[in-house]
Amino acid sequence: MKKMLAVLLCVGMTVGLLSGCGKSGKQEKKDDVTTITIWHDKEDAVAEALQEELEKLEPEVHVVLEKKSDLTEALKVVGNDPKAAPDMYFFAHDKIGVYAEMGILAPITDIIPKEELNDYMDMTLEAATYKGDIYQLPIYYETLLFMYNRLYMTDEEVPKTTEELYAYMKENTQGGHYGFVEQHSTPYYAAGWIYGFGGYLINADGEPGLDCDETIQALKYHKKFVDLMPGETEYATVNTLFNEGKAHATIAGPWLIPTVKASGMDVGVAAMPIIDETGNPISPYTGVQGIQVLKYAAENKSEAVEKVLRQLMEPDIGVKLAQASGCAPANEKCYEMEEVTSDDVVMAMKETAENAVPMPNIPEMDVMWTVTGNLLTDVNMSGKDINESVKKAQKEAEQLIENMK
Amino acid sequence: MNNRKKKWSEVVFSYLWSAPSLILILLIVIFPILYTGYISLTNMNVYHWNNYEIIGLENYKDALLVFDNGFLTALLLTVLWTIINMILQLIIAFLVASLLNLKGLRLRNIYRTLLIFPWAMPGYVSILLWKTGMFNSQFGLLNQWLEKFGIQPVRWLGGNVSAFLSCTVVNLWLALPFMITIIDGALQSVDKSYYESALLDGASWLKRTFYITIPLIKPIIAPSVVITTFTTFKQFDVIYLLTQQVGAKTGADIHTILTYAYEKAFITNNYGYSSAISIIIFVILIAFSVITNIKPKEERQ
Amino acid sequence: MRRASKKKRREKIGLLTANVGLIVLCFIVLVPILYAVSVSLNAENSLLSSDFSFIPKKFTLDNYRAVFMDEPVLHWLKNSLILAIITVFISLGTGIPAAYVFSRKNFPGRKIILQLLILLYAFPSLLSMTALYRLLTPMGLLNTRAGLVIVYTGTMAVFALWNMKGYFDTIPVEIEEAARIDGASNIQLVTRIVLPLAKPTIAVTAMMVLIYVWNEYIFAINFMTGSDTYTLAAGLYSLQATEMSGSWPIFAAASMVVSIPILLIFFALQKNMQTGLTSGGVKG
Repeated sequence: MKKMLAVLLCVGMTVGLLSGCGKSGKQEKKDDVTTITIWHDKEDAVAEALQEELEKLEPEVHVVLEKKSDLTEALKVVGNDPKAAPDMYFFAHDKIGVYAEMGILAPITDIIPKEELNDYMDMTLEAATYKGDIYQLPIYYETLLFMYNRLYMTDEEVPKTTEELYAYMKENTQGGHYGFVEQHSTPYYAAGWIYGFGGYLINADGEPGLDCDETIQALKYHKKFVDLMPGETEYATVNTLFNEGKAHATIAGPWLIPTVKASGMDVGVAAMPIIDETGNPISPYTGVQGIQVLKYAAENKSEAVEKVLRQLMEPDIGVKLAQASGCAPANEKCYEMEEVTSDDVVMAMKETAENAVPMPNIPEMDVMWTVTGNLLTDVNMSGKDINESVKKAQKEAEQLIENMK
Repeated sequence: MNNRKKKWSEVVFSYLWSAPSLILILLIVIFPILYTGYISLTNMNVYHWNNYEIIGLENYKDALLVFDNGFLTALLLTVLWTIINMILQLIIAFLVASLLNLKGLRLRNIYRTLLIFPWAMPGYVSILLWKTGMFNSQFGLLNQWLEKFGIQPVRWLGGNVSAFLSCTVVNLWLALPFMITIIDGALQSVDKSYYESALLDGASWLKRTFYITIPLIKPIIAPSVVITTFTTFKQFDVIYLLTQQVGAKTGADIHTILTYAYEKAFITNNYGYSSAISIIIFVILIAFSVITNIKPKEERQ
Repeated sequence: MRRASKKKRREKIGLLTANVGLIVLCFIVLVPILYAVSVSLNAENSLLSSDFSFIPKKFTLDNYRAVFMDEPVLHWLKNSLILAIITVFISLGTGIPAAYVFSRKNFPGRKIILQLLILLYAFPSLLSMTALYRLLTPMGLLNTRAGLVIVYTGTMAVFALWNMKGYFDTIPVEIEEAARIDGASNIQLVTRIVLPLAKPTIAVTAMMVLIYVWNEYIFAINFMTGSDTYTLAAGLYSLQATEMSGSWPIFAAASMVVSIPILLIFFALQKNMQTGLTSGGVKG
């Protein structure tokens, strides 16, 4: 009986309890101008390398790295509330347009003069620029890579052109084995083919290009490869096929390499095949990972922010990340060091990056992922007519972009 | 006079006692609806994040464009989805609960605990397990079993019909533990003496079920059934994660009104516009429940 | 005599069929879970495999060890427990008096409120997030347990109210009236008479709230920052093997670790729950 009474008493306690808990947040910490909170969603190896590098700033600046799942959504919600938002965040460059338009980001050139960024690869700075301002300090970048299993595909057999790849696929796709697999209906992966043909998903002015001739050509050409790949297309299937030796080659991100190496595969990395029709290689998107500064922090903690940025501009961090996790540094200076040039994965990414396209960073891109995904699914998996599907998708993309405003 | 005073104090007392609960509901359930209604009248979007202003019914005008054929198809599918799922859920849950209540069943508590297992996992974990572990066309358990019988692998989530059925299976798997527990509890509360006279009359199991059991448990399970019906109608995760997730689309063209609205509005980051769509969907839902009159009736009085 | 033995035999056959049926059903229900168990006990890092068997090929407990040693699972467990216990208590503390008056008193607005609550439940909550965020921020409740508790309690309040009110309705009023004549106050009525009779529904409501808090991750991830504030479900979500990172076996092992406490609690509460999820004795 007394237990039940206790339950009722809880109502009264609620108020006291809630107000008690309310104070136990981390507001006090936030006001301290020498504490910098950075959100990220990176794997442990990368986070540790960053942490180690930023600890050098102690005790003048105390940096807290917080891992945040669903970082992009959370930033939309808390971005303009200095109490809840971080001071900086570490993420790919493709969201800077959204946050810049929302007014929650400060250009990093407010803090670091533009001239000092000359050491960075042009591609990474281009990626970091939205409407003329640089919003990201690039740290490293990722591109997709052509990977092959040496057990099946010798170094000489690696296709130089897409037609050679096609021939290889025809010959080797049978009995549960596949010559080549990729996530053919995922926009991030299919984009390499579309850009290799000179097509595009969306241009810098925010106009979708799904129905332009080059895109259509790319989809038609790509379809014949898709027909020799499994119907299931998400990463788990594709990566497992490759990892288990059921697929001889694949196009995948560098993050796959540690997994396949751990399973004992002798994995080779090669340049992207050249598309016979156009003479360009498959040109995948690159994502530039780097650090963004929130407006509130830039205005109120500029000193600490500057120290953090300068620390991350040292080439050390690039070298450290290349060693820790096979990341390709954005700072050209890193490529003077032996530790970096001796890593074939990093060097293969650098080579691919010469033709790669930075992911569009404009807000309109947000809707393109879904629309393009639907288009690819319609064409590749449901076998719908290409010309009609692109028209429908283009119209839909335009409609959605219209609705963003 | 005295009577009136007493009545008045009863009212005060009632509201006083229910106030904490009602205030919480007001904050967490009702406030978001009102706030969404307010935002739907503004131009809050990426370009006007902080400096949004009221623009009247503009968003609703745009929103009506979404309600095209695709939306109608999705609406029909949602209704079909709700009906099929609820019927299956009720029938299966009733049968299982009846079995669990058989006289002399010794292991019933073990069965009960095992059957509840799906409930003890976060939903996204279960859906992921089903998607990659069961339905995957290359490695999924279902196809591995088919292979043993020499049957060609099936792309379970590829075709519209098979994807719809697969989603239904997963939804049932997720929802049945709750429904079984509800009906199980309701069955136990039925006074056994009703059956004795019926047995004497020689009524069959079916007859007893229809004339005694169902009428007796109906009022008890009604609130839970209504809440489950709404949850089924609003179901997003199962269909989205199994078939429509960006980067992992399976080619099945099945959309409920929520997944449809998601692709047509929420991805635009235009909060005003997507709020308008949410409000319209809400109104449609209410209209449905009024038309079909699904609301728990009160058995008291 | 003969009729009786025939009846007995029929009952026996019935029981046998029921047992077989239930065993088959349990197996079907458990297939995906057995799958996860098997993955979690396997040394190879793969959720998928082209020749799967329920018995792991390379048996190992390393994944479970990793869950407890390398991940702050115990810390998350503590967070989940604290949140769950507070939420359950507040849900009951607010829900019981409300359910009681909605069941016993007839006051203006009662019927309307009851119907309205269930209709409002129909609101698609995809957009509630922003609104709740706007609500919590000015109150300084973002990034606090209190904020999450309020959100969880509010979300479950409609269910708690309806569920317990339904049960209270079935408890005969006459018992209370007798006590009232003896001069019992309202609080005494509830604590001494109604609550003991309503134990099952309270157990069940508590269980429902507990399961909800245990499995909820969207609010937990969005309203809390930093992995030291995660609940089990949120931590599991962050462990989720994505394309870039993560290990399937560890994720599967963590899923099991999350589920087991709920099953234990369920098993323990089962006796109380039997007539609880729904109202008790319906006697016409």
